Amino acid sequence: MSLYRFFNISLRAVAVLGLLCAAAAFVLPAGAEARNIKVGIIDCYSGPPAVYANDALNGFKLALEEINKTGVLGKKIEFTTRDDKFKVDIAMNMAKELVMREDVDVLVGTINSAASLAISESIAKKEKVPFIAWIAKSERITGEKGHRYVFSSGENSAMAGKAGGVALSRKPYLKYWIAGDDYEYGHAIADAAWRNLKKLKPEVTAIGNSWWKPGEPDLVPYFTAILSARPDAVIFATGGASMTNVMKTIKSTGMAQKVPIWIHTATDHAVLKPLAAEAPEGVMGTMDYHFYYPDTAANRKFAKDFEAAYGNPPGFPAFHGFITARFIADAFKKAGAVDKEKFIDALGGLVVDSPVGPVEMRACDHQAVLPIFLGVTKKSPTDNFVISSDTITLSGPEVMPTCEEIAEERKK
Amino acid sequence: MLKNLIQPRALAAAAVVGLALLALPLAVPRFYVYMFSLIFVNALLAMSLNFVVGHGGLYQFHHGVFYGIGAYTVTLMLTKTALPAWVGFAAAPLAAALAGLLIGVFCVRLSKLYFGMLQISLGSLIWAVAFRWYSLTGGDDGIHDIPIPQFLSAPRPVYYFILVMLGLSLAVLYLILKSPFGSTLRAIRDNPERCEALGIHVRRHQLIAIGIATFFAGVAGVMFVVVESSVFPGLLFWVLSLEIFIMCLLGGWFTFAGPMLGAAIIVSLKTFVGVYTEYWTTIMGIILILLIFFLPEGVMGFLLEKFSDRSDRG
Amino acid sequence: MDAGHTISLAAVGSHLLVGLSRAMILFIVSAGLSFVLGVLRVPNLAHGSLYMLGAFAAHSIAALAGGGALGFWLSLILAPAAVALVSLAAERALFCRLYEREHLMLLLFTFALMLILGDLVKALWGADYRSLMPPDFLKDSVQVFQSPIPRYNIFLLLAGPLVAVGLWLFTTRTRIGKIARAAAVDREMVGAVGINVSWVFAFAFVLGCVLAGLGGALMAPAVSITLGMDHDIIMEAFLIVTIGGLGNLWGALVGALIFGITQSFGVLFWPQFAIVFPYAAVVIVLTLRPRGLLKSVW
Repeated sequence: MSLYRFFNISLRAVAVLGLLCAAAAFVLPAGAEARNIKVGIIDCYSGPPAVYANDALNGFKLALEEINKTGVLGKKIEFTTRDDKFKVDIAMNMAKELVMREDVDVLVGTINSAASLAISESIAKKEKVPFIAWIAKSERITGEKGHRYVFSSGENSAMAGKAGGVALSRKPYLKYWIAGDDYEYGHAIADAAWRNLKKLKPEVTAIGNSWWKPGEPDLVPYFTAILSARPDAVIFATGGASMTNVMKTIKSTGMAQKVPIWIHTATDHAVLKPLAAEAPEGVMGTMDYHFYYPDTAANRKFAKDFEAAYGNPPGFPAFHGFITARFIADAFKKAGAVDKEKFIDALGGLVVDSPVGPVEMRACDHQAVLPIFLGVTKKSPTDNFVISSDTITLSGPEVMPTCEEIAEERKK
Repeated sequence: MLKNLIQPRALAAAAVVGLALLALPLAVPRFYVYMFSLIFVNALLAMSLNFVVGHGGLYQFHHGVFYGIGAYTVTLMLTKTALPAWVGFAAAPLAAALAGLLIGVFCVRLSKLYFGMLQISLGSLIWAVAFRWYSLTGGDDGIHDIPIPQFLSAPRPVYYFILVMLGLSLAVLYLILKSPFGSTLRAIRDNPERCEALGIHVRRHQLIAIGIATFFAGVAGVMFVVVESSVFPGLLFWVLSLEIFIMCLLGGWFTFAGPMLGAAIIVSLKTFVGVYTEYWTTIMGIILILLIFFLPEGVMGFLLEKFSDRSDRG
Repeated sequence: MDAGHTISLAAVGSHLLVGLSRAMILFIVSAGLSFVLGVLRVPNLAHGSLYMLGAFAAHSIAALAGGGALGFWLSLILAPAAVALVSLAAERALFCRLYEREHLMLLLFTFALMLILGDLVKALWGADYRSLMPPDFLKDSVQVFQSPIPRYNIFLLLAGPLVAVGLWLFTTRTRIGKIARAAAVDREMVGAVGINVSWVFAFAFVLGCVLAGLGGALMAPAVSITLGMDHDIIMEAFLIVTIGGLGNLWGALVGALIFGITQSFGVLFWPQFAIVFPYAAVVIVLTLRPRGLLKSVW
């Protein structure tokens, strides 16, 4: 029998076996061990957003190490992750698998706003399982589309926009150009920023806007158009890998020296790190977490422990992941039982200890009350990367929509 | 090959499978009922693609567009109008078929690869529109928590509803393929020049075939919305279209039921392998390569070859 | 929000320049795709993955060589070479066994390759995004038409035509190039004359992939290098090759120019909907000339 024929037959046999295995996997139940508290995490571990998802997971794990030393209600908190590859259909599929097959107590995830909304509205609400969104920034998650079963432990575009609006209203600029990634996040940030700026300073005008495909590699034509319009200041609404392109183009066209710029997450370490010392200086940015600011003992410890465990300093997703773990643990403790409804009742209004101080999970909308830090990019005096300097803090209540505003939104 | 399916052995097999599927929700947990529903959706989608690819010989590279159009149409009708649900359910496949014919008119002038590439181009344009037209389609956020009729709110009634729709659709497709139209279609697939010479309107037949295939893709879109209550632009993305292609190939595209088997395998593997590793795409790639080399007739083709007489493949 | 700014001749000039430099990268990548399409008659879906591989490899090579000008030039040479090795391995081990089979099988194989290469890049380089800086003499910008044009874009403007001319000379003046072109038109004849068609195909495939890798290495200093680059570029390259004429290298140039310039001018005239311009151009071209603007090879 020739080698080819041997392979041919055996691979056909394997194929049929594979078919049988798939069928068997179907019927076999998930492992049924002594019941710990189960957290199901769905996030994007492939592709550009993976750097954030991994960061969040690491922050979560770091908190769990501490929490599981004493346990919660006599049990440990265990978690399992699923990769949604930034696709909504996979996210939904995995969420249903976690809820119906793994029987998790809490769902957590994902950086993809569309997937977060899908899980929140189509699954968490229907299956009555609490879902905590920890990186996605869509304000609709706890705003317009919020409900009892969804929480957010991260900042959202409404908060970022208000921070930007507050920051810019203190400046003398009148003519603005607005540009960004052409998808929901970009538009949401831009709208929120503009809305707030206009309210605080009605004399401002938007002389134009440009939107590019997210991840668009060549932004030079857009920047050329913006510079030739001579605005007083520019608002960029971008994030992730696309933001790195924006920062690179700002540097290569020298825009920061010609016109003031504000970008939410401009001071994000994940963006600035790959650019090292080449990141543009003089760009205004807002962030809800820096590992170097505020320079409190708690923050320094968190950063040190994180770096020791994972090899790099924590970013904002790590911070969100960390407080999510604390929220889950403390809420179950307060509820006194591993019961989803009691957990939700306990979580609303709960305050946990975080590296930047106490953080409250606001009861009226299930949104974490986080401060926003406003700074300007500048080369770090000690390390080979750019950091936020002249940082000022805008407290949570300063930047969040009020409970009344949220209630209005949800009525729509 | 279709003759196989009306042999007593095949009919008995089909009956057994049918009964098993009817009894399924009573025996397995909720999650598997949901998974089977999802498999049925993909099964119909793959079957509709195979109608034009396996039986029609057309390079339909962006079939997913019509699936997405069906899903979005029913969603928009359910969320933005006060019309009863069945109107949306009926309008969606019609919208998909209309889009299929419009795009088909452009593409069918060309043969083979050009057809496929032009379809990808036009399909991508539609994807871009859905992605950006935020006020209409929800943009990249998609639309969620779609108000499906009350009687379809639990996995079990959804399952039966989907099963019935699948069964009806399959019956229609089967009858069409057995009809003279089906024979002509296969003749066109095998030798279009000859058919042209014989006086057959090749283009018209192809267009009708496209219309039928995209109609059922639209039905699959409706089914998806019933199962997941969500739509998003990813349904219109070209990578999904190629995945459907793989389902047809895996199952066996010269057989009738092959694509369904392919859909079942891919959907199950995707979920269960996805539970254990994030490198599912590599595994799918390897499976595809193994298929290309060792099982070009697909699993169904292989099984049929083994277990029945060697009849001619139409 | 109003768009109240005047469009000056200078702005048109600067946008034209920028559009052209973008078109150059698109051309280099699409030329590779078109070449493979012409000779092997199969659209290589893994083409974008090889572009991405080229970009990541360029980053690592430049980093290993300590950055700076040396790292930059080394990466431009070694990254495409690495891509050549990978594509040769894939071709000789698996792809070449499929030449006698149906086209669809070849296409699906390239899809499988795309899936595997995407995960391979993730496994080798991880999920972080990376950034490569251009060497010092190509950093920052120069004032052209009263707008800052990054020096690196000017470099691309020169590199593009160089590659185009090099490719043209190669396929028309060298023996192997001429044989490849002949095989595109009539492979049986080439085989009948006694030439090993399989090796011609191997050469064509590798050359196409090298162009993709070169495109990636050239583009790396200008963008952030991430997973997902493959999906983005493959669709654009496909459209360009379709409107240019399948297999026609000059067609790839024309297509790339149309794409790059319509996008750049779209930004100038209608910033909110700039993305639609290239797609609209594609639809218009295909409506008027469904087989592409220039003659296809087959």
